[in-house]
Amino acid sequence: MSLVPTPEVLPIARGYFDSLLLLTFPLHLILMNAMIGAMALALWAHWHKNPVSERLAYQLAKVLPLLIAFTINFGVPPLLFAQVIFGHYLYASSIIIGVYWLSVIPILLVMYYGAYVYDFKFWSFGRRGLPVLVLSGLLMLCVGFIFSNNMTLMLNPEAWKAYFTHPGGVFLNLSEPTLWPRYCHMMVGALAVGGLSVAVLSRLWQKKDAEVAALALSSGMRLFFVATCVQVILGVWFLLSLPVNVMMLFMGQQFLATVLFIVALVLVVLVLLVAWKKHLAGCAWLAVFLVYIMTFMRAIVREGYLSQHAVEQVVAAQHDYSPLMLFVITLVIGIALIAWMVKVTLQCKEY
Amino acid sequence: MAIIAITHVFISHFAVGGGLYLVVTEYQARRDNDFQMLEFVKKHSKFFMLVSMVYGGVTGVGIWFTIGLIQPDATADLIHTFVFGWAAEWVWFLVEIVALLVYYYKFDSMDEGNHLKVGWIYFIAAWLSLFLINGIIGFMLTPGDWISNNNFWSGFFNPTFWPSLWFRFAVSTLLAGVFAFFTTIFISSTTFRHKMTRYSSLWCLGSMVVVIPTGYWYLQVLPSATQEIFSISPTIANSVKVGAFATAGFIVLVTLFTLWKPAWHNMVSALLVAICALSMMGSFEWIREAGRRPYVIKDYRYSNGIPLVRVDELNQGFLGNSKWSVVSEVNRDNLAQAGDELFKFQCYACHTLDGVNNDIRSRTATSTFNGMVKYLGTIHDRRPFMPPFVGTDMEKKALAAYLIGTLHGKEVTLEAKTGATNLGQQLSDEECTSCHGCDIVKEWAQGMTLDQVKQGLLSLSKIDESMDDYAGSVHELEALTNFILGVPQVQCVDVDGAAQFNDECVMCHDADTSFAWAKGKTAAEVKDGLLHLSKISSSMDDFSGTEAELQAMTAFIKQEAKGGTQ
Repeated sequence: MSLVPTPEVLPIARGYFDSLLLLTFPLHLILMNAMIGAMALALWAHWHKNPVSERLAYQLAKVLPLLIAFTINFGVPPLLFAQVIFGHYLYASSIIIGVYWLSVIPILLVMYYGAYVYDFKFWSFGRRGLPVLVLSGLLMLCVGFIFSNNMTLMLNPEAWKAYFTHPGGVFLNLSEPTLWPRYCHMMVGALAVGGLSVAVLSRLWQKKDAEVAALALSSGMRLFFVATCVQVILGVWFLLSLPVNVMMLFMGQQFLATVLFIVALVLVVLVLLVAWKKHLAGCAWLAVFLVYIMTFMRAIVREGYLSQHAVEQVVAAQHDYSPLMLFVITLVIGIALIAWMVKVTLQCKEY
Repeated sequence: MAIIAITHVFISHFAVGGGLYLVVTEYQARRDNDFQMLEFVKKHSKFFMLVSMVYGGVTGVGIWFTIGLIQPDATADLIHTFVFGWAAEWVWFLVEIVALLVYYYKFDSMDEGNHLKVGWIYFIAAWLSLFLINGIIGFMLTPGDWISNNNFWSGFFNPTFWPSLWFRFAVSTLLAGVFAFFTTIFISSTTFRHKMTRYSSLWCLGSMVVVIPTGYWYLQVLPSATQEIFSISPTIANSVKVGAFATAGFIVLVTLFTLWKPAWHNMVSALLVAICALSMMGSFEWIREAGRRPYVIKDYRYSNGIPLVRVDELNQGFLGNSKWSVVSEVNRDNLAQAGDELFKFQCYACHTLDGVNNDIRSRTATSTFNGMVKYLGTIHDRRPFMPPFVGTDMEKKALAAYLIGTLHGKEVTLEAKTGATNLGQQLSDEECTSCHGCDIVKEWAQGMTLDQVKQGLLSLSKIDESMDDYAGSVHELEALTNFILGVPQVQCVDVDGAAQFNDECVMCHDADTSFAWAKGKTAAEVKDGLLHLSKISSSMDDFSGTEAELQAMTAFIKQEAKGGTQ
């Protein structure tokens, strides 16, 4: 008997949830990347003893708790929509790694408060603040690793048999061949886009501290360029580690997958060229586009895995769209309120 | 789970009321040009951000993670039913974060009017988060018409929605005062410290005036079955005590230390007030959760995750239908292992093994194998806050074998005993020891006569409401009484209560009339009624048979009135 539980009835057609998932997940990724990039550059800047890099570290220290807040917040909708579509896979894999999965919460709390301590005590702690930052950084990497474990385990119901030998929830999917390439691909990609995000943030510091802004721009762009080059190698490793039937989807077996793969390759070359020319805005827009394309490819990989374990998902006989309208109207009002708050914030005397 | 949940509930309510406290206090400060007060609001907003946004935000996600592990099916119910409710709640959560960050970081540099508007946006977003989550939480206890129509709005605006919303809102403004006490301690100016402490205590006491009637309203709209659970659940009885003491302590402390004598206020009183408030909240949430039993979603899914619609199917074979069970069919060789699996599926959601909460080992210590088998068959009737056992007879025996054999090392015999068995002891094992030891019964009966023990057994509910009056045959009652008093088995005439009843009653009226009349009455009352039938109707004669016949008929009527033999 298959271990995959019977899925719940979908309230409306699956396409709505797929679209919302693919729309919101890249936003979470971009924020997560910015968080990791800001962390890495703060560490690098604080390590160097010159005053400009120290001031840059302080600016990043102030930004870091905000990035953590928004990363967590923007993690909610993709996990929500993923649970609607893939709950029957996701609950099972989460239970199998239960202890680690639950440990994400205390890890997040320590990491989050660590970032606030680093920010509020930046000048009084001086270089003694660095271990706090390192701790928060390591905890971020742990959270990423636990997520990679869960996301690979949910794709492979065969591996769920581990529950019978490890029923206590202390299991990691370490024998999964894609685990490490996937995790490294995510984290190095995060460094790249994170570096670029810091370069974008430098625009905010231009008026107040031009030296800091210049350092943020140059170091951020350099991190983006180097990490993207490494990412190309890791991407090949990840691709080759995939099961042949999944990998071949991108090699001509599925039209959409192949087109996305080619577009992604072209975009990588383009983004590296633009980065080389230090064209910040172009680079940033291309990177956002690339993150979306990568997310679509990730969805195809997931479908490739799950196609062997597909179970029928029933859609409710009567489609009630009024709850969707509730969400859409709320979202429109929410965006308007946020836009107004950002506007009045930018009008303030100082940033 | 409980720590994450209760502290999150505490902080998340504070996030709503605290938002109102901030913006109202800021408004007063700006109106009166009170710079001390404005400085206080700024300091308090930093504390507020670190507590509500960081801890509240992360533990909120924590509850979501945890329920997915403990109750994946029920979590899927909530996610699938209310996905767009959750999504809308996320929007308000996002607006809250943006507003709070702007409010704190731009406290000094933003134009006054805009800053106040941002404060109001924060509060409204937080209140709307409460509005949305309140509908979903209330749904679990009172799903209302959703059960029949599966409609989002029926589930959302469920019977407890409004009382719960206002109750929680009042609690949130109460907590705003509680948390402000921590900031007021650090005010250096004595006069101003007293002023703000007293001001915060008015938030607490003013909110209490709303908390009490809305709490009462909430209890009134609960369905009668839930109110019944409230009256019999030992967990709830303890929580009610904790809640009552905490409420009294809260009112006294706030009145004494912060309103009347704010000079006495310090970190210790702030902590004590917070502990009382936490205990009040904790006991309320605990009672609400426990009152939902035996369901996780009332009338839809039992606490152990079994949906009501699948009970009949699963009664044909539970393990065979469980994908994650190691054992699919029970036989003599895998009895204990199958029982272990059944324990995990049907009991583990509420009972721990050697843990603090509802430890199963201590709760099954006095029972025997046969007693446990019988108990499992009637578990939901005897303890309405527990779900019924679901599965075949053999699976029931497997679970009993695990609970009694594996956990306690006692004898497990599948075959009925033959030869000379002590009927009284067998009945004691089956009827008494699944809840308490036999020693207690013998102690109770000490010094009593045979008749007194019999009367006592026939009206057990008077000794303790959780017990049912004994409803076996006269012969069984005799044997049980003798066993309790240590009297050797005596021969007694077994009288057939059913035959007596048929002979005496159904000649003139149908049986159901009698059963309906006996429903809710104790054995003694039924007996008394039979002896005075003429008072019910002049066409009937008072019962005039022997004592044994009277008892047999009483026992039969009582049994039938309860819905027949289980």
